[in-house]
Amino acid sequence: MNIMKSGLLAALVATAGIASSQALAEDMPIGGNVRIVIGSKSTGGDTYQNTSIVAKALAEKLDINVKVDAVGASAAFKAIDRLSDGNTIMVFHDQSYLGFLYGRKGYSNPFADYTVGPTVAINPGNAYLVPKSSPYQTIEDIIQACADGKRIRVAIQPGGVSEIGFSALKNAIKIRYPGKEANLVAVNTGSQADKNQLLFDGQADLINGSVQANEQYTRLPADDQKAMRFVWLTARKQTIEQANPEGMGETSREDLLKYVSPNASVTQDGSKDFTFDKEFFFLYNKDMSPEIVAFYDKALGEIFAEGKIQETQKKSFFIPNFKPSSEAQAYLKDKMDQYKVIIESIR
Amino acid sequence: MEFLSALTPLFFGLVGFGVVVGIIFGAIPGMTATMAVAVCLPMTYGLDLTNGLALLLGLYVGGISGGLVPAILLNIPGTPSSITTTFDGYPMTQKGEGERALKTGIASSLFGGLLSALVLFLFAPTLADFAIKFSYIEKFLIILFALTVIASLSKRLLLGIFSGVLGVWLSLIGAYDVSVGGNGEYRLMFGFMEPYLESGFSLLPVLIGLFGLATIFQEAEAGIREEVAGDLKLEAGKPFSFAVFRGQIVNLFRSSAIGTFVGMLPGVGGSAASVLSYTQQKNFSKDPSKLGKGAPEGVIASESANNGLTGGALIPLLSLGIPGDSTTAVLIGAFTLQGIQLGPLFIGENLATWDTMMVALVFANLVMFAVMFFAIRHIVKVITIPKYLLYPGIIMMCVVGAYAINYGIMFDVWTLLLFGILGYLGQKVGLEIAPLIIGFILGQQAEVYFVKSLESFGTLSIFFTKSPIAMFLWVLIGISVAYSIFGLIKARQRDRDHGPDQ
Amino acid sequence: MPSTGFLSVRIDFSQSHLFFPTIIHWILLVLAIAIALVYGPGLIREFREGKRRLLPKGSDVDVLRLGGTLILTVAYFVSMDWVGQFFPNRGLGFLIMSVPFMFGLSLLYVHGLTWRRFAVIGLSSTISPTVAWYTLAQLFHITLP
Repeated sequence: MNIMKSGLLAALVATAGIASSQALAEDMPIGGNVRIVIGSKSTGGDTYQNTSIVAKALAEKLDINVKVDAVGASAAFKAIDRLSDGNTIMVFHDQSYLGFLYGRKGYSNPFADYTVGPTVAINPGNAYLVPKSSPYQTIEDIIQACADGKRIRVAIQPGGVSEIGFSALKNAIKIRYPGKEANLVAVNTGSQADKNQLLFDGQADLINGSVQANEQYTRLPADDQKAMRFVWLTARKQTIEQANPEGMGETSREDLLKYVSPNASVTQDGSKDFTFDKEFFFLYNKDMSPEIVAFYDKALGEIFAEGKIQETQKKSFFIPNFKPSSEAQAYLKDKMDQYKVIIESIR
Repeated sequence: MEFLSALTPLFFGLVGFGVVVGIIFGAIPGMTATMAVAVCLPMTYGLDLTNGLALLLGLYVGGISGGLVPAILLNIPGTPSSITTTFDGYPMTQKGEGERALKTGIASSLFGGLLSALVLFLFAPTLADFAIKFSYIEKFLIILFALTVIASLSKRLLLGIFSGVLGVWLSLIGAYDVSVGGNGEYRLMFGFMEPYLESGFSLLPVLIGLFGLATIFQEAEAGIREEVAGDLKLEAGKPFSFAVFRGQIVNLFRSSAIGTFVGMLPGVGGSAASVLSYTQQKNFSKDPSKLGKGAPEGVIASESANNGLTGGALIPLLSLGIPGDSTTAVLIGAFTLQGIQLGPLFIGENLATWDTMMVALVFANLVMFAVMFFAIRHIVKVITIPKYLLYPGIIMMCVVGAYAINYGIMFDVWTLLLFGILGYLGQKVGLEIAPLIIGFILGQQAEVYFVKSLESFGTLSIFFTKSPIAMFLWVLIGISVAYSIFGLIKARQRDRDHGPDQ
Repeated sequence: MPSTGFLSVRIDFSQSHLFFPTIIHWILLVLAIAIALVYGPGLIREFREGKRRLLPKGSDVDVLRLGGTLILTVAYFVSMDWVGQFFPNRGLGFLIMSVPFMFGLSLLYVHGLTWRRFAVIGLSSTISPTVAWYTLAQLFHITLP
């Protein structure tokens, strides 16, 4: 037993020696491979896609292995809770604080419990759609229908990014036609496939979707049961304006701008319109050293300064949006505070 | 014929490479086709879409097919969809017919794969339109239909059904998952478990715990007496010949079709395919009592169905942009990473890609058959490895698989141990593992579709009146239940006449 | 469209996580009672007549191998996670702990240990984890402990 123990110790020491000498050689505050855990379990989704682009750029820049692991929100938070070495970091989007605002299990206030890092990109695709045969042409038609006492069923995935547009719409109806917001009801469901299915079945009048996933459905002939129509994109006008002019599929940037504020207006407080951009950002362990935070800020800053990553992002319908940590923290905190007001007003 | 230019030697090389790697992943207990596709996804960055898909489709077909190897030789399903392969495949190995079982399985896989590819090629958009006629209600009835297998798999009816329902119960532990439409609230656990169990138990560690680790515990209890797994002589039993398919043509077609159909329904998991076709084979078999005791027809049903799944799961993926099973969900990544969106117009706008995918799928099935059919002679030797070397290796690979299935979660490794112990102790008190695992696989889907149907319609009567499809499914469920009751009565009569088996 | 009648059901979304589990609990309870009624009397009789005992006889159980498997497995799981954190994201916790685990378990399982077998075990328990680690962690970049 003693021989085995000492052999093991020797192996440990030897490997540790290799690891530390490598770290010294490259003059980095982190040694070893970097693992980016993401808040989504899907490797086909936008979080994985966006994080892969960033991971690839980081790996080239730092000449290390960077691995993206789709572990899902609660496991990802747990991983960065436990590890403060900077080798395990997280990338997620607005869900990380929206989950907290909606009181979802497994979420806490990211500004209190983690260090919010730099933002890297926006997915401008958050959209609301109706069947092509629907009497409602615009989001205003839907607001008016609720005001007239019609019941509008909206298919969403509750507790986050998919619900925030619904909450804003309900809030807008409440501001303009107090009491009528009860006519807008949520049909709580899961994946995009489930939301589409509810529309096909006639169990929902309006669904949350995305430009990417639903664009082809909007180009189907009107007599097709699957045909849909965009009525509202929650992105800011200036966000869509930065997209490539070809837009997505056969739907050009000009077409997309028709569904964005101010053309499709959902008021936030009676004076300005509500907008929501889904932004991807880094999250770190609360106690990770400021040196490592600065290190990632610098590395990403250089990557974005080179300008190559932006091309890749835009090709995949992401809008580049690099903000270093301190700027990102203030910006996202303000964003969270605004949505907090909306969610609380319709509670 | 624009697509012909994409068919380079590299293309075929990648399909072949994918198949071989996929088979290895599928054949290692604990590694799955989904995992094979997921870990190779980043490798496709450097390739164009066609070549990337060639690799991934090869992995998909290889991974699904490779699962039969440990299922037949070691009684551990290599992938969840080969659970039903163990029911007859392993008894065949115990009779010394391991090679025959493997070859039967591989030939059935080839048939299922090719038939589903043909269906995909000819009818994809039409079938996708049919698939969206299945709402929550019809999907619930399909799951219920698959659950009826529990009755016919039970050795003792009451205990079997109890085990099945217990499996359902175990699958519900944790949060009512928001991503399938739940409200995200926790249930069936105490506060101190929450940090570990919020996502519940994962299927793969549960599966390899119940089948793999539990068996090793049992053997350890008995002292690992025999050196080699069950003193098997490799060529003791009947050799393989294609005559095994005589009288099984209907089975082949039915099982492949069930596989394709289940694959086609988004949200009805892939493992349900082999479970359903196995039930149907048991119901329609001339001698149902032979199933589960080493009947080749059981292997045929299971393996043709799980390869039939491949083409089926690609139908909604390519014609709706919605994955049909967990592996195709990963496959979506290959498209999005190349900036290509899937959706109802994908095939029409990307005919060249579509054609090359079909070529890759067919070629992958042929390579799979060629590679495995001729490698079997060597693969079979796995069971000649002494247990004292084999079992530690199996545990190690199970650990890798469990840890990697959700991309690095330590709790999944503990799940492996927990269910290893549960399987070991459970069998002592009469718990039946096969019904338990089937209940576990189908439990979450049963819940979501049942609860969502009621949320939308507010009445139980909707399950009977929703659509002609629903009524048709009730007829199938009725027949299935009737058959298994009938089968039990017959078996009991026989026992009374000839005395029970044991 | 909420309908009336005895089949009608109303589910509150915020409580919907308990709806199905409650049904399952009732089914399990009914089945458990049925099992107790069907098998219970027979079992009690067997216990009384001493045909069946709660724990199997000690001689039927290889306590050393069964207990050893359990202890080694638990030690393996705990230690690889612990060792792994010293080498972030390299999978070395897995590699370093798999070797002694496989070695120990093989020694525990083997009957009639000879020098030849000892050598084979040594080789097998070093080579297999190394090959697995190299292919999976290095070539395929799979995250390991």
